[in-house]
Amino acid sequence: MSIRTKVAALALAAAVVALAVEVAGGDPQVATLAVLAAGVAIGELVVLHPQGRAALPLSFAVFTVLVRAGSPVQVVVVVVAAELVASVLRAGPISVRTRAVLFAERCAEAFAAGAVYNLVTTLGRNREELGVVVLALTLAAIAPVVVADLVAYARHREIAPFRARSADLAIVTSGILMAVGYDGIDGDGRLGLWGPILFSIPLIAAWYSFELLASTRRSFEQTVQALAAAPELGGLVREGHADRVAELADSMGRVLDLSSSDLERLRTAALLHHLGAVCLDEPDEGFTLDPVEVAMAGANMLRASEVLAPAGDVVAAEPLLHRPPGVADPPPAALPGMILKVASAYDELTEGDDAHASWAVEALYTGPGYVYDGRVLGALERVLVRRGVLDAR
Amino acid sequence: MTREASSRFTAYCIGIFVAALALCVGFYLGGQRPPIDQVLILGLLFAVAENRSVELPNKSSLSASLMIAMTAIVLFSAPAPNLGPLVVGLCGGLYLPQLRSRDWRKVLFNSANFGLSSLAASALFELIVPTAPAPAFLLAASIPVALLYSLANSALLVPAMSMLTHRSLADVSQEMWVSDIQILPFGFLGVLLGELYLNLDGWVVPLFVAPIFIARQAFASYLQLRAAQEATLSTLVRALESKDRYTAGHVERVARFSQYMGQELGFRQSRLERLRYAALMHDIGKLIVPNQILNKPGKLTAAEYDRMRHHEFVSVEVLRRIDFLAPVVPSIEADHSGGSDPNSSLEARIILVADAFDAMTSTRAYRRALTQEVAFAELRDKAGSQFDAECVDALVRSIEAKREIYGAGFEGDVADFKAPPPTTGTGSAGLGDLAQDSERVS
Repeated sequence: MSIRTKVAALALAAAVVALAVEVAGGDPQVATLAVLAAGVAIGELVVLHPQGRAALPLSFAVFTVLVRAGSPVQVVVVVVAAELVASVLRAGPISVRTRAVLFAERCAEAFAAGAVYNLVTTLGRNREELGVVVLALTLAAIAPVVVADLVAYARHREIAPFRARSADLAIVTSGILMAVGYDGIDGDGRLGLWGPILFSIPLIAAWYSFELLASTRRSFEQTVQALAAAPELGGLVREGHADRVAELADSMGRVLDLSSSDLERLRTAALLHHLGAVCLDEPDEGFTLDPVEVAMAGANMLRASEVLAPAGDVVAAEPLLHRPPGVADPPPAALPGMILKVASAYDELTEGDDAHASWAVEALYTGPGYVYDGRVLGALERVLVRRGVLDAR
Repeated sequence: MTREASSRFTAYCIGIFVAALALCVGFYLGGQRPPIDQVLILGLLFAVAENRSVELPNKSSLSASLMIAMTAIVLFSAPAPNLGPLVVGLCGGLYLPQLRSRDWRKVLFNSANFGLSSLAASALFELIVPTAPAPAFLLAASIPVALLYSLANSALLVPAMSMLTHRSLADVSQEMWVSDIQILPFGFLGVLLGELYLNLDGWVVPLFVAPIFIARQAFASYLQLRAAQEATLSTLVRALESKDRYTAGHVERVARFSQYMGQELGFRQSRLERLRYAALMHDIGKLIVPNQILNKPGKLTAAEYDRMRHHEFVSVEVLRRIDFLAPVVPSIEADHSGGSDPNSSLEARIILVADAFDAMTSTRAYRRALTQEVAFAELRDKAGSQFDAECVDALVRSIEAKREIYGAGFEGDVADFKAPPPTTGTGSAGLGDLAQDSERVS
C-alpha cells in the first residue's frame, strides 16, 4: 500500500468517526480526538527530509494542537493509539525492534510537549492571555524537537547544526499556528478543527518542496556518480577511485574548514576528475594518458556549463603544482584543487587499500616540496588518523 | 531599444505611476485611512516576496506577493478598501537589483503595476463579498479575486513588454495571458492570513510566513539542483560529442522522439522528464569506446568489435546505478539484444522505437539514411513483434501531426564521409535484416 493510500485511508476513517459521533449526538470531544489521532498517524507517515539533519515527522506539529485540545489522559490515549497505528503502517523493511523503539521515542516526544504545555499554563494560572498561551504553545512545539535531538545525541554523539534547522522552524511555527487556529486566543480566531487543517497548508507546501529537493538531490548525485563510473567501467581508472577520492577529499575539506559551496564543488570535481580520460585518444601500448591533458579535457567539459563550471575549475587546478619554482605563494582559490590532487594521489599510491596508508603518506611527504601543499597533507593525516588507518605522530 | 521606443516606455511608466499616485491622493481625500503599522508590515512583506521570487524553468516567476495582496484586501476591507491594497502593492516595486542599477522606469512601472492590480482585485472583492462573510465563502471568493489580480497584472505588463521587445501586442499577449492555477493557492493563503490578522493581530504574521519562506527556499534549491542535473546531462552529451558527433546527435534525437511518444501517450511532466533522461543516457557506454575504434573508417578487428560491444554492458551498468532510471534498464538491454521485451516498462519500449527510428533515418559510414516513409513502414511491419505497436503508432502520429520530416534529404548532421555510404546496411536497434550479412561492417 502506498503512503498516499494509507494517508487517504486514515483521513477517511477519521471523517467517518467524526460524522458518526455528530449523527449519534455524542461528545464532540471524541470526534476532535479521533481527527487529531488520525492527524498524528498521518504526520508519522509524512516526513520532512531536510539535508544535514535527521528526518522530521509532521506529527510534531499535530502534538501541539493535541496538547491544547485534550486533557493529559486524553493526550496519552490518543498518542499511544495513533503511534501504534503508525508503527504498523510505517513503510519499508523495518524490524519490530526498530518500530518499538520509534514508538517509544515518539511517545516520549509527545508527552514532553504535553508536560511543558501543562506546566506553563499551570504557572500562568490557566489564563487565556496572549503571552501565556503563546509561550505555552511555543515551548510545547519545541519540546518534541529537543527530545529528538537528545535521542540523536545519545545515539550518534552528534546534533544537527543550526543552519540545517529550517525544517524545525517550519514545524514549530506551523504547530503553534495550528494550535492557535484550533482554539483562538481568549475567544478570538477560534476555528475548531478547521484551524489545524487550514494552517497546515504552509507546512504541507514546505514538505512538498523538501520532497522535490530530496528526490532531485538523490537523482543528481546518482547521475554524477554514474557519469563518474564510466571511465572505471571502461578500465581507464581503478574501480571505485572516484568514490573514494570524493569521500576523502570531502573529509579533508571539512578539516580545512571549506565552505559548504566549496565542499559541494570539490565533491563534484572529485567524482568527475577523470572524465576527461574518455575524450582522449587511447595511448599506445606501454604509455599512459597525460594527467594534465586528462584534467584539462574534463575541466573544459564541465566549464561549458554554468552550473558545473566551479567544479571544472577545481579539476583544472588539480594537476597544477602547489608552488611552482619561483612563485612565492599558491593562489588561495586553488585550495580545493590542491585537496583533490592530494586525495587522488593518495588513492593511486594505496591502490584503494588503506593498509598502505602509512607508506603512501610518507611518499607524499617526501616528494618535492612544491608538488603538494603542506597544510593539505596535514589534513590528510588527520583524516587518516581519525579513520584509524594511520598512527598519530 | 530605439530612442522613440525608449521615450514611449518612459512615458508609459511615469503615466501609470502618476495615475496610481493620483488614486492614492483621491482615496485619502475621500477619507480612507489604513492603519500605518499594518501598511508598513504588509508593504515590507510585499517587497520581500517580490525580491525572493523564484524563476521557473519556463522563465515565468513564482512569487508570494499575491498572497500579501490578498491579505491586504481582506485586512483593509473595512477601513480603507482601496487605499490599503493600493499602497501595499506600490511597495512591490522596491526590487533591489533594479534599485541598485537605478533602473527607475522599471521601479515605477512595477510599483504602479502591483498597486493597480491590487486595487482592481480589491474592487472585485468588495463587490462580491458581503459584510461578515462565512469563512468558506471567503475562501471561494479568493479564486476570482486572485484571477483578476493576475489578469490586471498582465494587462499592464503587455504594453510594457511590447515596447521593450519591439513585438506586437498580440504576440506578447500570447505569452503573457497566463491565468495559471499556480497562483490560486497563494490567493487562498492570503485570505487565511488576512482573517487571522483581523482576529489575532500582526504577531501571527511571522508564524504564518515562516513555513512559506522555508518552502520557497527549498523550492529554489530544488530548481538549482534540477539545473545542475540538466548541466550534468549536457556534460554527458558534450563528452559523447567530443568522441563522435553522430552519437551526440543521435542521443539528443532519441530523447526528442521518446518525448514525442510520451506526450502522445499522455505521460505526466515528471514521467516525461525521466524518459528524456533515460533516452539521453541510453548510449552512455560509448564513452568508454576508444576514439580510434569509434571513428575507424574501415572494418573492425574481432578484438575491436568486442571492445565496441562492451559499451552495451557499461550503459546498462551505469543506468542501474540511478534509481529513477532503473525501470528503463531493460530497454537498453533489449535494444542491444535486438528485440522488445513485452514485460519491460513502457519507457523501455518507447526508447527502443525511438532508437530504431533514428538509426534508420540517419546516414552512417556504413549506410545512407532511409526515407521517413521507409522507416515508418519498417516500424509498422515489425510492430507487435520487434516493437511495441502502441509506441510505433504514437511516434508516427506525433511526427505527422508536427509535420516534421526526418531521413534521407532531411538530416540535421550529415558527416563528411571519405567514401559514399552504401544505400543498405546494418543499424542499431536490431535492424540487421536491412542488410545482407556480407555487407556488414561491424
